[in-house]
Formats: sequence, structure tokens, C-alpha cells
Amino acid sequence: MQDISLHLLDIIENSVRAGAKHIKVRVINNVPENVLRLIVEDDGIGMDSQTMQMAQDPFYTSKLEREKKVGLGIPLFKQNAELCNGSFKMASEPGFGTVLTVDFQLDHIDRMPLGNLKDTLLGAVVGHSEVDFYINLIYQSPFATQSFLFDTAAIKEELGDIPLTYPDVIEYIDQSLLEGIQNTNMEDV
Amino acid sequence: MKTLADLKKIREKAQEEMKLRGGNVRMKIVVGMGTSGIAMGAREVMKTFLEEIANRNLTDVLVTQTGEKGLSSMEPVVDVIEEGKEKITYGNMSPEKVKKVVVEHIVNGRIVSDYVVATGN
Repeated sequence: MQDISLHLLDIIENSVRAGAKHIKVRVINNVPENVLRLIVEDDGIGMDSQTMQMAQDPFYTSKLEREKKVGLGIPLFKQNAELCNGSFKMASEPGFGTVLTVDFQLDHIDRMPLGNLKDTLLGAVVGHSEVDFYINLIYQSPFATQSFLFDTAAIKEELGDIPLTYPDVIEYIDQSLLEGIQNTNMEDV
Repeated sequence: MKTLADLKKIREKAQEEMKLRGGNVRMKIVVGMGTSGIAMGAREVMKTFLEEIANRNLTDVLVTQTGEKGLSSMEPVVDVIEEGKEKITYGNMSPEKVKKVVVEHIVNGRIVSDYVVATGN
């Protein structure tokens, strides 16, 4: 993975596979504390503590269809966070869901860029119309806090039976995300 | 700034269109978005499909993402599913190949056999 937003996409796909109906994604760029934080919270099937430990092992996968039993998504994300003085935390409860919190030292020389957050979110939102996404981008500078909220439940309610892949809707979501990303200075993080 | 009022306009327009042609989904495109797919460029493949659908105003095509299906060496992988026809799986996809598949297969109904890696279920 070349950037953090590709890892984010991978994590969102995990939540979808865990049967989540609601996924909450928060990206926080906290300049005073020098932290770039990602929080992904879902209401999927969750994991017991043993599975949670195994998920961090590169030779474990929950995907039965895989011939080679490797699962690199979580181990690589964890490694990339820890390589730049960050941290990777998982909390989960079977039947209730999973919360993942990943921190990166914002100004660490080895930190991967955030990358194309817009395409990650656009694909996830439109590609999983059965899931409600609640997206919150927060930029904290020493002087001000900017926040962007994007709630797909409200959009779907407004659209009724019009699918999210309807051409004008794709453009609407694309534009909304772009505005939010620009307003919270997440373009070149 | 985009607001929910903009959506209302889109809905009204879309409903008018659906009255004319019926609300059928003609084709479904499924982009494999497992870890290996993502590492090989599946996000850009997904994005290109969405762009093409928006630009060509394809109102009867659905695009979704799914996990991987054991074709890791051919990622990014894309399924094109059309009712009453065999499922077509394209492999080693790129934004350029997506554009070709949209013109040839999605719009004109001609399968791009050079990119096909599997057919049927």
C-alpha cells in the first residue's frame, strides 16, 4: 500500500465483510498534538480477543476462499503506523462491532501520505449502498478547528429509490467529498 | 456548497427518467476490493467506472465493491453481470482497460475477450 487512504479502504472492506450496517469513519489531523488519527467504527459481527490477536498475524486470514493462508491487511497497516512513532489499537466485542484507532506522528519523515481520501470514500460509499456511512473529517490547527460531516443515511433518505450509482448522484457525492476534504485541509497531508 | 436541496432536484429528474424507461438495472459491475486488489490498483479501477458512468450518463448500470474471490494473481478483478447471460470476469484491469470495457461491453454489448480471465460462475 502506498498511502494511508488505501489502508483505510482495506479496513472499510473488513467492516463490510463483518456484516456492518453502519460504519463511522473519522480522520483527524491534529497539528498542535502532531498526530494524524484514523478511527473506524463498525457494528459488524466483532471478534473475540483471540481472533483479534490472530488478525494481527500475517499468516492468519478469515477468508476461506484463499488458497494461501496469508492476511496482510491489518499487519501491514499496523507496521506502517508503528514505523513512524504511531500506534494501532483494536477493540472489539462479538456481536457488537469493532473499533480501530490508528495514530501516525504527523511530521514523521517516514509517514506515508494520506493519499486520495476522496476516491477511497467515494468508492466505499457508492460501492456499498447497503451500508450507512458517517464520515467526519477534522482539522485542528493551533488557531481553529474545521470539521466536515458526511452522512449517507440522510442522502439515501432524500433519494428514495434512486440508486447511489445514478450518474448525477455520483457527481454530487464526489463534489461534496471534495469540498469537505478541501475545507479541512486534507488534500496534501 | 452541495446541499440536500440539490439531491431533491436530482431525484425529480431521475424519477422522470425512470417513468420513461422503467427502473430496471441492465448491468451490474462488481469490482474486487480485497487487500491484494487494493494493492494492485482496484481503487483507481472503481473510480474510473464511476467516472465513466457519470460522464456517459449510464443510468441503468450498478457498480458495487466486494472482497476478493481467490484470483489474487489477476487483480484487479471485475465481474460484469447481465441478466440471462453468463457472468464475465475481467482480470489485470487498469483505468485504460476499464474505459475500453465500458465502451465495448457496457455500452455496445461486445465482450472484450482479451481481458477476460473467467466466464460463468
